[in-house]
Amino acid sequence: MKRNFYLFLNGKRLITLMAAMLLTFFSYAQSTVSGVVRSEGDMETIPGVSVLVKGTTRGSVTDLEGQFTVQASPGEVLSVSYIGYTTQEVTVQSGRSEYEIVLASSMSDLTEVVVVGYGSQLKKEITGSVQTITGDDLMDIPVPQMAQKLQGQLAGVQINQTTGKPGQGMNVRIRGQLSVSAGSDPLYVVDGFPITGDIATLNPDEIQDITILKDAASTSLYGSRAANGVVLITTKRGKAGQSSVSLNVYTGMQNVPDYNRLEMMDAVEFAQFKKEYFEDAGRPVPEMFQNPSQYEGQTQDWYDALLQTAPITNYNLTINSNTEKMRTSVVAGYFDQEGVVLNTDYERFSLRINSDYTASDKLTMGFNLAPNYVRDNTPRTDGSRGTGILFNALHTWPNMPIYDENGELTYFNRFPSETGNIFAYPNYVRSAQEITNETKQVNLLSNAYLEYEIIEGLVAKSTMNAEIRNSKYFYFNPSTATPGMNVAIPTVASSVRDNREVFSWLNENTVTYTKSINDHNFQLLGGFTNQKFRLDRTQIAANTYADDRLPTVQGAININRGSTISDVQEWALTSFLSRLTYNYQGKYLLTAAIRADGSSRFGSENRWGVFPSVSAGWVMSDEGFLNTSDKVSFMKIRGSYGVTGNNNIGNYTQYALVNNTVNHVFDNSVVPGAAVTSLSNPFLGWETTQQFDIGLDLGLIEDRIQFVYDFYSKNTTNLLYNVQIPQEAGFGSFTDNIGEIKFWGHEFSVISRNTSGKFNWTTNANISFNRNRVQELAEGIDRVYGTFHITQVGQPFGQFYGLRKLGNYMNEEDLNSSPQVPGRSTVGSIKLEDINNDGIISQGGDNDDRTIIGSPFPDFTYGITNNFRYGKWDLNIIGSGSYGNQLIIRHLYSTANLDGVFNMVQKATERFRSPEDPGDGIFGTTVGGGNVTGIERDWMNSNFVWDASFFSIKNITLGYNIGTIANVVKSARVYASVQNVYIFTPYWGGPNPEVSQQNNGDGDGGNLSPGIDLTGYPVPRTFTVGANITF
Amino acid sequence: MKKINIIIALLGIMLSSCEEFLTIVPETALSSATFYRTETDFEQAVNATYAPMRTIANTRSWLLCEMRSDNTIYARNINFGATEQQEDLSDHALPEAQGITSNTHVLNQYRQDYLIIARANQILDLIDEVEFDQASKDNLKGQALFLRGYAYYELARYFGSVPLHLSPVTAREEAALPLTPEAEIYNHLIGDIQSAVNLLPVQSQQEVGRASKGAAQMLLADVYITQKKWAEAETLLKAIVNSGEYELIDNYEDVFSESVGNKNNAESLFEVQYLEGPEGLNSSFLYNFMPRPISPDELQPITGTSNPQPLDGEGNNIPTPDIIAAYEDGDLRKDASIAYVEIAGSDREDKVYPYIKKYAKHHDLHGNHGINWPIYRYAEVLLFLAEALNEQGKTEEAAGYLNQVRDRAGLDDANAAGQTDMREVIFNERRVELAFENKRWFDITRADRVQEIIGDFGARALANPQDYYYPAGATFRSNAFTNITKYYALPAAEAEITPHF
Repeated sequence: MKRNFYLFLNGKRLITLMAAMLLTFFSYAQSTVSGVVRSEGDMETIPGVSVLVKGTTRGSVTDLEGQFTVQASPGEVLSVSYIGYTTQEVTVQSGRSEYEIVLASSMSDLTEVVVVGYGSQLKKEITGSVQTITGDDLMDIPVPQMAQKLQGQLAGVQINQTTGKPGQGMNVRIRGQLSVSAGSDPLYVVDGFPITGDIATLNPDEIQDITILKDAASTSLYGSRAANGVVLITTKRGKAGQSSVSLNVYTGMQNVPDYNRLEMMDAVEFAQFKKEYFEDAGRPVPEMFQNPSQYEGQTQDWYDALLQTAPITNYNLTINSNTEKMRTSVVAGYFDQEGVVLNTDYERFSLRINSDYTASDKLTMGFNLAPNYVRDNTPRTDGSRGTGILFNALHTWPNMPIYDENGELTYFNRFPSETGNIFAYPNYVRSAQEITNETKQVNLLSNAYLEYEIIEGLVAKSTMNAEIRNSKYFYFNPSTATPGMNVAIPTVASSVRDNREVFSWLNENTVTYTKSINDHNFQLLGGFTNQKFRLDRTQIAANTYADDRLPTVQGAININRGSTISDVQEWALTSFLSRLTYNYQGKYLLTAAIRADGSSRFGSENRWGVFPSVSAGWVMSDEGFLNTSDKVSFMKIRGSYGVTGNNNIGNYTQYALVNNTVNHVFDNSVVPGAAVTSLSNPFLGWETTQQFDIGLDLGLIEDRIQFVYDFYSKNTTNLLYNVQIPQEAGFGSFTDNIGEIKFWGHEFSVISRNTSGKFNWTTNANISFNRNRVQELAEGIDRVYGTFHITQVGQPFGQFYGLRKLGNYMNEEDLNSSPQVPGRSTVGSIKLEDINNDGIISQGGDNDDRTIIGSPFPDFTYGITNNFRYGKWDLNIIGSGSYGNQLIIRHLYSTANLDGVFNMVQKATERFRSPEDPGDGIFGTTVGGGNVTGIERDWMNSNFVWDASFFSIKNITLGYNIGTIANVVKSARVYASVQNVYIFTPYWGGPNPEVSQQNNGDGDGGNLSPGIDLTGYPVPRTFTVGANITF
Repeated sequence: MKKINIIIALLGIMLSSCEEFLTIVPETALSSATFYRTETDFEQAVNATYAPMRTIANTRSWLLCEMRSDNTIYARNINFGATEQQEDLSDHALPEAQGITSNTHVLNQYRQDYLIIARANQILDLIDEVEFDQASKDNLKGQALFLRGYAYYELARYFGSVPLHLSPVTAREEAALPLTPEAEIYNHLIGDIQSAVNLLPVQSQQEVGRASKGAAQMLLADVYITQKKWAEAETLLKAIVNSGEYELIDNYEDVFSESVGNKNNAESLFEVQYLEGPEGLNSSFLYNFMPRPISPDELQPITGTSNPQPLDGEGNNIPTPDIIAAYEDGDLRKDASIAYVEIAGSDREDKVYPYIKKYAKHHDLHGNHGINWPIYRYAEVLLFLAEALNEQGKTEEAAGYLNQVRDRAGLDDANAAGQTDMREVIFNERRVELAFENKRWFDITRADRVQEIIGDFGARALANPQDYYYPAGATFRSNAFTNITKYYALPAAEAEITPHF
């Protein structure tokens, strides 16, 4: 009831405000000014040029013939700008209404207008650290997610594709931001609306441009959500005077190249291994393995059996229909990607309609409506042993038949126990094909705005945004298949249904006042916003089906109560914001901003957070002393400092919750039980990041070379953390704001126009060095352990932690003269370092020999893009890389299990067998069974840690510009593209060195345990051909 | 000016509605601020206090008590990696330094006991502030006190000195308390249980399965016997016998709960309740007690389920040759308690393993049964009474109670010459009557015979590993039976975060 009242009030308030705006309506005497814009040299007309009356929002864009019309009074100045040309200013003269304006071409893009939070700014005048990418530059890259297209193109932004599942798995970290337990993804803002859904569902062809806000001065207007950086996405809008229809199409095939697959033993090698295993142990060799060569040509490649060559198709139709008053852009898209793992399919239907209506020269309004429908089905490919079918398939014995003698898929394989087969291996091809794991979602993003110029320079804007999402997840595991291990078929059929409904709305009201007095230019912004989110979720889990053909809820014999859930998640956010931008002569720049956020997530004693920032810049090249140099064409230094927050702390974390499903049973009857399961914290708040940034923008040789450098340093404090408390209290943890992490780094990027003219070559390169160090954890706690990780004060986050391998004990003498694991070490077993020098190797406890044995963080990441144009041909090559990062090849605990329980990595053929035949040192002896081999396998040690540096050629595209065809096609271009061309890497643990499976199957998860490879969904190589045609 | 006034007014309205807009309480969960207000709330709170008992009985007690005694042992499967943590318990090879151990089973037992304590504290702290029917309130308080007393009794026997929490923790600073000496822990738990005896109704007046006066009297008698307060124990035990609430069931085999039937029967004073089915309230210990690797065909006759699945890993809680030999000839309890299974996948030559039969009742679902776990039953009342009497020199009177138990087992009256003989007879009688009911380890500790009994047992096992289910050529780890102690070391994971140990 209260909520309804509030909404009503909100609506009423808006109406009142609009009435107030209308009251102040009065007009100026203006006349119509028109003209044509041409480019210097060839004197061709230029369409799409922005003609703005300076200091106002009045303006226009030239049509296809280069013509424009604006309302302007004599004495006002027309600012005429276009990308690639130097902006020109023309003063309107009394009695003259026709102008011919000739623009000189410019190497620099400094005249570009860049979208920033709550407004836009000339690139030249920006004082923060901001990077922009145009949607058109990304169009050829044949991938469905925006983040995939950005790989390698942004300094300071590490983008990893952790899995090849279509539509999933992009890990975006701006300036290495991390948190112990709060989310670390950047905030995505689509047309001014911070969205709550998955950005991956957005059709990238709808994007006009993307702005990445990195430093606190740029992000602080997003307050308590800005600490992870902000990605502003602007979708395509119509421009006055331009009407067009264009079609973008590509189609292609994807596969998993052989070169970087994990090499496993074939059937002969495996049989040979088993034979040797039994011989070395002095046990009789089972008949199955007595003659390994009998398996020649008989290898059953279970991994390959799960893969396929898969098609990918994308269609996009864009219609721009623009008149003076009404501008509309429509993008309709269809994308279909089958996956390279059997039975994977990702399909997206999308539509976006963006309209702007100029009611008068003072009143503009607009509407965006973007519905889409995404359906995907992915087998349970990723996960640890027993849950991910790729892992399971990899280590299934290569002599186990995929098909039976009748050509039917087997159900499961299990050999007699004397062969050492202690597990039943289900047929994972069946798992892929027969298990349904489907999500269907409908997303609707919509925005409406009203913009009114109250008096000259004073513009009020009110927006209403809504996001609606409906997703249905359906999982059905029939009795004939399982993603698990050691499950005999038939198994218990089970289903999970998870339906979610999200409604999020945002109302923003801002007033902007722009004023120039002499050479002093001011802009003042003020506003308040309200946002609310609600998720309704129902999950029903059922099992034991009488008939696999009817996986209904009512068809199940049991409802799995433990996994049957209904849940509501809500949050609300109220904010006030303000920004002052000032410059003198466009040379001395100053910006100050502040936002206050009140959030329902924060405890009652700590409800409001304030996030200020300040930044300044100095365009040194505008000073006389630099103008004399013809080498330096542009030079700006800038600096910023600000505070931002991270409010991804859970919706109800502050409350002490009573769980009323702690049920019990008496005499076979369930009785309801309730217990307090968490402690309340009324002081709970956001994580705070204070960031300092200093940057240099340099243009050399008439801006042929543009160079940007940034150094940043930030401290994140008040980290949200479940502080462990002794469980004698009856609780395991207390959620509190604790600790401090320091981040710092250097970012360099350079754009070099190497040649121009007929042969045009541009290189765009960047390199980033990101570092972090834990400064403090909770009181009395200086480290947090994961199963394979440690986060420790004075060290970087999430370091790999375990024993350090020195080699294997090469012989008796080596064994006897070295520290051992008592009762377990033997000749040929793993030799570990005795870190504490007590003569004994031990894991855990007071005599722990574990230490830091590696790091998931790269020394640096880099990207390089080369673009060549020759006449009508263009060639684009994108590469991205990472150096110095390591991965834990976690799957080795199975795929190098020396007890011969599973199929193994081929490298294990070179294990230690005897002092005379010591192998290549990676794997130890099989003799002694689990008591000996268990050390190497079950104790985390440096044998699992490998260099995962890589350089990946992400994309090569070759295009040909056909140009005009008859009078029908205005322009046409065809191209061929290869995505994920080749990865150069020493990493051997799997096909994807970018992998980081956070849930490693040992109860760890989240940010504290990065860099785990469990061999997930491979990232395909994709070959496509495409065309862009404009009518 | 008017415009500005309107704007200021609007801002005012907005700010005042802010707090309301920003206050969102969870819709699908209750918060502690609104709970503990009614009789029903406290009923539910008490029910939840029983819940950790299910975990303790299903997955912990038999590891920490029975498998640590000479009754059962861990059976290695050399094809499988060692599951060291359980093996460490069985082999008395727990890693320990400065009174701290990293064993997770020890840790989990400790935590589950404190979970009971925390829930009971919450109830006992708030229940008197809420007005409702006194009889009902007494009953609920009695149950909470019984459970808190029970949990502290477990802690005292496992660890000796532990932190003493008697009121709910509400802030981070209150979480860690110093160790309280064992004697003081006993004083407090005796107080709790004594109050429970006074507050609780007798079993026939109590809702089935909940703690009753008889159960509380038995728990208190158990405590007194551990403390060798024989006379006090005798009084309590006689009160139980004379209450007429309990009797021995004629056939020993029929004493134990089935998955659905025969629960809370005439011989039962207190048992941990389970429910077969998908509610998550089931037990599954029977599966843990199976030697491995066992195939579905081998498992099916034992569990009777329609969809048996193979079980891998290694066998837990496998009866030792020692317990098998402890039964006298003709003891009907032997075949009711122990059976044998042949496992084709075993590396042992004869491939035959004993397993605990007294709980092996057929049920429907694989890995999921409703078999209750016995905590106190009338046979133990009689044996305790016999012990309490014998220790006071009333050996003759003791024999009468002892023989009731022997008689049912198909055995002749005990042949004991005097108090000392009688003590040994009762000690062994308890071993076989209560075999696999997690009594043996505490019988050994309270008799202060840990080194003697476990030391001898270890020597026998190390000398003949094949008798203790190792395949030919394999043997115990070199650190087996090197850390034989009466108490468990305190758990390392707790030690790391408390300043007190």
